[in-house]
Parts: sequence; C-alpha cells; structure tokens
Amino acid sequence: MEPVSAALPEKINFSGVGKTFFVRGTEVQALQPIDLAVRAREFVALVGPSGCGKSTLLNLVAGLLQPSEGSVTYDGKPVQGLNFRVGYMTQKDTLLPWRSAADNIGVSLELHCRSVSKAERAERIAAMVDLVGLSGFENHFPGELSGGMRKRVALARTLIYEPETLLMDEPFGALDAQLKLVMQDQLQRITQDRKMTVLFVTHDLGEAIAIGDRVVVFSGRPGRIRAIRDVTLPRPRDVFRMRFSEEFSRLHEELWDELKDEVVKGTDI
Amino acid sequence: MTGRSVVSTDQAVRTKAGERRAVLVWQIAFGLGALALWELTGRVFGSTWTSLPSQIAQRLLLWGGTDLFRHVYVTLTEVFVGLALGTVAGVVAGLALGRTQTLALVLRPIIVTLYSVPLVTMAPLLILWFGLEMESKIVLVTVVVFFLMFFNTFAGVQSIDPLLVTTLDLMGATTLERYRKVIAPAAMAWIFSGIKIALPYALSAATTGELLGGSYGLGTLLSRAGSQFDMTGLYTALIVLLVIGILLSEGVAFVENHLLRWRHVAE
Repeated sequence: MEPVSAALPEKINFSGVGKTFFVRGTEVQALQPIDLAVRAREFVALVGPSGCGKSTLLNLVAGLLQPSEGSVTYDGKPVQGLNFRVGYMTQKDTLLPWRSAADNIGVSLELHCRSVSKAERAERIAAMVDLVGLSGFENHFPGELSGGMRKRVALARTLIYEPETLLMDEPFGALDAQLKLVMQDQLQRITQDRKMTVLFVTHDLGEAIAIGDRVVVFSGRPGRIRAIRDVTLPRPRDVFRMRFSEEFSRLHEELWDELKDEVVKGTDI
Repeated sequence: MTGRSVVSTDQAVRTKAGERRAVLVWQIAFGLGALALWELTGRVFGSTWTSLPSQIAQRLLLWGGTDLFRHVYVTLTEVFVGLALGTVAGVVAGLALGRTQTLALVLRPIIVTLYSVPLVTMAPLLILWFGLEMESKIVLVTVVVFFLMFFNTFAGVQSIDPLLVTTLDLMGATTLERYRKVIAPAAMAWIFSGIKIALPYALSAATTGELLGGSYGLGTLLSRAGSQFDMTGLYTALIVLLVIGILLSEGVAFVENHLLRWRHVAE
C-alpha cells in the first residue's frame, strides 16, 4: 500500500546540506552533505547515535542555523531567518520557570500574532492538559514537576498552537516505557488529525518505526544518511500491539543491522 | 504506609517550628541579658561614654513626643524616592546594555570606572549642587542605588537561557513580547536581589548625606547629638536607625517570597 503522503507536495528539502562548526578554532564537521525531501503531512523519524547531526537538521529547518553548504528549502523557498511555520520541541525543555504548567502551555496564545480570547485560551489549555495527562498539575510550577511531566508540558505547549510542521528532538526520551507508548499514540493521532508534517529525532529505533512514515538512519559523526525505509503499516496504528506484527519485526531487524555498527562504533570512542 | 509517612512529615514540621521557637526564646533572652549587663556596668563604672538603656528609653519617649517622626519621615522619604529613581534607572540601563552588545562594549567600562569612586564622597559636591535639604540626599541615594541595580540587572539579563528566548521567538513573539514574557520576568529575581542589597546602602547614603548638613533626618539628629557630646542622643538615634534597617530588609524579604514563589517551590 502506498502511503497517503506520496501524492502530496514537498514540504522540506535538504539538498547537499552540510554543516561545519568551529570549536575553539578547530573545524568540526557535524553533518556531511545530505539530500532528503520531506513531503507535506509526512512523519519522518530520524534515528542515529548521539552527535550525528540530527538536532542540527532540526535547527536548520527552524532557521536557527544556516547550512555551511547546500540549501534547505521550506515550501520551495530557502529558509532565511526564523521559520515561524514550525513548532520546535527542543531536547531541553525550555519552560518558563515562573509560569505554572497551564500558563506555560498557553503562552503562544498570548502572543499578538496568535491571540485568541481568554475563554478560548482557557478551553484549549484544558484540552491540552487533558491530552497529555497533566490534570491536577495545571497550577504547579515547572520546578515542582518531574522530568517526564515537564516534557509533557513542553509537548502540549508546542501542539496547542497547531504549527503546520513539528520539529521534535527526542521528545519522549525522559518518559517511562508505558507513558512513552501513550504519548506516541496521541502524537500520531494529533498529527494525523491536524495534517501536520513531522521531523522526529529519536534514539529509539522501535519508536521510530512505530510512529514514522519513513525512518532515516544516520551514521555517527560526521553524520550522513545510512539507510532510509518506508514504513507501510496502515494508520491509525496501534502502537501498543504493532510491535508484534511481522512488518515491524522485519523492519526492526533490517534497520538494526544498519544502526548496530554505528552504535558499536560509538562505544569505541 | 502512606499514613505513617504523613505522620512523620507532620512531626518533622512540628519539630522544626519548635526549634525555631526555642531559638527565638534564646535570642530574646540574650538580648535582654545584654541590655541588663549594659545597664549594670553603666551604673557601677559610670555612664559618660556608654549612656544607659534606661536613659535611652526615656529619650526615645521624649523625642517621640516632639519631632522624632519628622526625622524618620525625612530619612525614609530620601531612601524610598532615591531607591525608586535609582532602581528604574539601573534596571533600564541594565536591560539595555545587557541586551545590546555594542552599547555594553562602549558604556559598561565607563560605568565601572565611575563606580570605583567611593560614592558617598560625592555628598559634599551634591550638597553644593542641590542644597542642604532632601534633594541632595535623594540624588546621592539614587546614584548609589543606580550602580548596584545596574550591575545586578546586567548580570541577570546575561544569564537568561537563550533557548527560552528562541522558543518564544519561534512562536512569533515580537521584540516587545520577548521582553514582557521572558526577559522582564527572568530579570525580576535579579532586580529583587538587587533591591535587597541596595537597601542598606540607600539608608547609609541618606544618613551620610544628612550628617553633612540639613535640618531634618536621622543623620542630622546624629550629628547634632555628636557635636553636643550627647551620648544618650547618639545611641537613641542609632537604635532608631537599627530598627528601620531591620524593618526595611524584612519587608523586602516578605515581598520577594510572595512575588518569586516559583523560585522557592522547587526547594
């Protein structure tokens, strides 16, 4: 079965994109030139060892970094300056410590460019709190929440203003195994419903296959694409049970072979 | 199991409160003991240099019936007006320089250089410029508070996590919104710790100015008592200043605990 997104236009395009950083005068190549096209409404999962430039890719799409070579386009236009069409959930939860969980979630709706009525804001915050399972913790400050809860606040804050593209950098890394599944399930439903395009960075190959339309495996530093596979499992998927399906096992095995070398290489350093 | 843990935390809270009460009792006992010793040694060995607590209490009552409150009012007005002006100026300058690199490069060394002058030594100059009454002392307090607030705000703004700013920027925040939602609240903590530091300096700047001249204020009271060799008057004025100092710093700590609740909850 062909994925739905095959017919849809291209959203993000990396062509010959490489990135080199200067760390104390020495040149460090974070990303070897790569080519990757992401279609609208596609959910692309990026997997690879630490320091392989996956986060760099997200920063390039968000316009926080400029490529050293090649070009990144969004809707066919080169990304110049900040890209306001994306919602970015960084690896570090950047919650505002002086705001309660609810006020953190709703902060985007207070901005002039996304301003909504007070009543609607409260309603949407309540729906988000419910969605990420934070009922009863709305009025807690980030300092009073666990790492997993803070991640969920950050997720709700990114989802609430419904950006057309989500950039997510290991959003569920800090969650326990069960909650991770629940969040994956909700994320795939929300992104399907709202027709979002997603670039999702993770360490967890199982997670990548479970929610991705496409899985991209990266090599260790300097990062380059080692393998790309389509996941043709139909949606909506049952993230709780699909791990036992044949296609999941086959893909997992295939991609694990690619990833294994990189992970082993990583441990030598 | 949970029941037991609740009981034990309850007990912990109670012991803590009990400990605090015991400490307070000891402190009061110590204070009263020191006063008694003061009174006793004064009566036995003579009180020319040390006055006596009983005489100070009498003087306090006497002054209270005349113009003590006018002196207190003048000093407090100088402190508060100067604190307000200096805080606004220091915070604005700290925010502007903290967020604009070129401005900081040019102006910060100048501010640092100016700060190396002991500020209270400006008092005679300011008195010549602004006269002997409240204005000159308000200017002195403002200058002292400005520097302290500037350095605190500047450091605070520099320590804001740039990712917090980036997150709001990506949501589409305007420059003004970035200030209102991230930079100002983050700087709040620094501003409060700045005010806490600046308060005793503001009080000392105001009284130092008054020592040099003026018709009202606790510093005036002090210098008048000193020139008349009035030991009891000196001690009385000092004790009034002590009480004012304690009340001011306790007041700021109270307000801070309420406004910056988020900072304490994690502990």
